[in-house]
Amino acid sequence: MTHLSPDQVVDVAEGCADAAVAAHAARCASCRAKAESLLDAVRLAESDPPVEPSPLFWPHLAARIGNAVRREGARVPFWRSWTWRLAPIGAAAVLMVAIGIGARVWPGTPGGSPLVPAMPAGSPAQAAMEPSADVETADDPSWLLVSALSADVSVEEAEASGAWPPPGGADKALLQLDDAERMELARILRAELRTRGPVAPQGPGA
Amino acid sequence: MSTRAAAWPAGGIQPDWTLTVLPSTQDESGRDEPLGDLDDRRLVELCLAGRVDAFDVVVERHQRVVYQLCFRFVRRHEDAADLTQEVFLRAYRGLRRFRGDATLATWLHRIGVNVCLNKVAGRKVPETPLDDAPHIPAAGDDPAVSFAKAREGARVRAAVARLPRKQRATLILRVYQDLSHREIALALGTTVGAVKANFFHALGNLKKILAEEASAKP
Ligand SMILES: [Zn+2]
Repeated sequence: MTHLSPDQVVDVAEGCADAAVAAHAARCASCRAKAESLLDAVRLAESDPPVEPSPLFWPHLAARIGNAVRREGARVPFWRSWTWRLAPIGAAAVLMVAIGIGARVWPGTPGGSPLVPAMPAGSPAQAAMEPSADVETADDPSWLLVSALSADVSVEEAEASGAWPPPGGADKALLQLDDAERMELARILRAELRTRGPVAPQGPGA
Repeated sequence: MSTRAAAWPAGGIQPDWTLTVLPSTQDESGRDEPLGDLDDRRLVELCLAGRVDAFDVVVERHQRVVYQLCFRFVRRHEDAADLTQEVFLRAYRGLRRFRGDATLATWLHRIGVNVCLNKVAGRKVPETPLDDAPHIPAAGDDPAVSFAKAREGARVRAAVARLPRKQRATLILRVYQDLSHREIALALGTTVGAVKANFFHALGNLKKILAEEASAKP
């Protein structure tokens, strides 16, 4: 006669055995004794009541954990801190580089050099390179990108707003621009500088 | 933020990140629901969207069971409080990994068991039970009866502490934390059959240890 396995004995003790297992237990004193012994041990274990600290302990513990969690949140990972806290500096650097590139590629600009191959007249890239006096940037998506990157956003504010790029997302957005897009960015930045006042000495429109 | 997101032209310069829309805490009629009324799943969504106050509610809701779980392993109030904090910190850090195939309580138990087993690993079982949790005797209890109960409880606790790790964890989760065998299987990363077998052996060994202790005493 094959007796019940340990897990089947547990099922019998807990009253959730299937029909075949229950039928075996009904006719096998040995297996019934094992199930009884199990229940006996459960009662023994239960004689150790749950710990109940003072009710005053729970708010204290919750506050302590809340503080630890907030400290955890304030420990900003390295990539986040430099990407976002240095964002204005990064934007300024991009600006200078962009203006520098602009100075070298705009036709007729002093110091311009053939770094970028000549493009056919009338091509989109060529059009983008043309300095334009009447630039409307307010709703320009490229400018929105630059604004988003250079805005002085703290990590906490950005997280609280629910908007958060993945690591390096901002950098990638800039690096993924092709030549024509970089030219366009330079044009927009230059126009923005013009409308906002003092222009860097090397700026083409200075 | 949504107007800015809509301004990106199709096929133009696109950021490779997306804006997260903060989950609403409003009910169907548009009223703001208190965080305490939200279920665990919604609280987790809010936490992931940056609402730390939603995690405060998670802590308030589950700290008692997590503390009691930790106390079962370490049997010292200060240690149990420290471990409870550690469990919630780990949960907070790993909230993105909570997939919802188990309840949040089961997931916290899983973290709790890991934290506690690591803590007690290699630690020698104390000869005398350590129990400095502030117990509150029920009103009207006979002090002598209370004392006898406390002694018996401490004896059982010490015996549980001597069980092999998996048996101990299984017994604690089943008897004291009232988890189902399925929940224990999820918490311990094993099968229901293995949980039941461990439970069977844990109870057998508990009786054996207590019997040995009783016979060793004059
Ligand atoms: Zn049998």
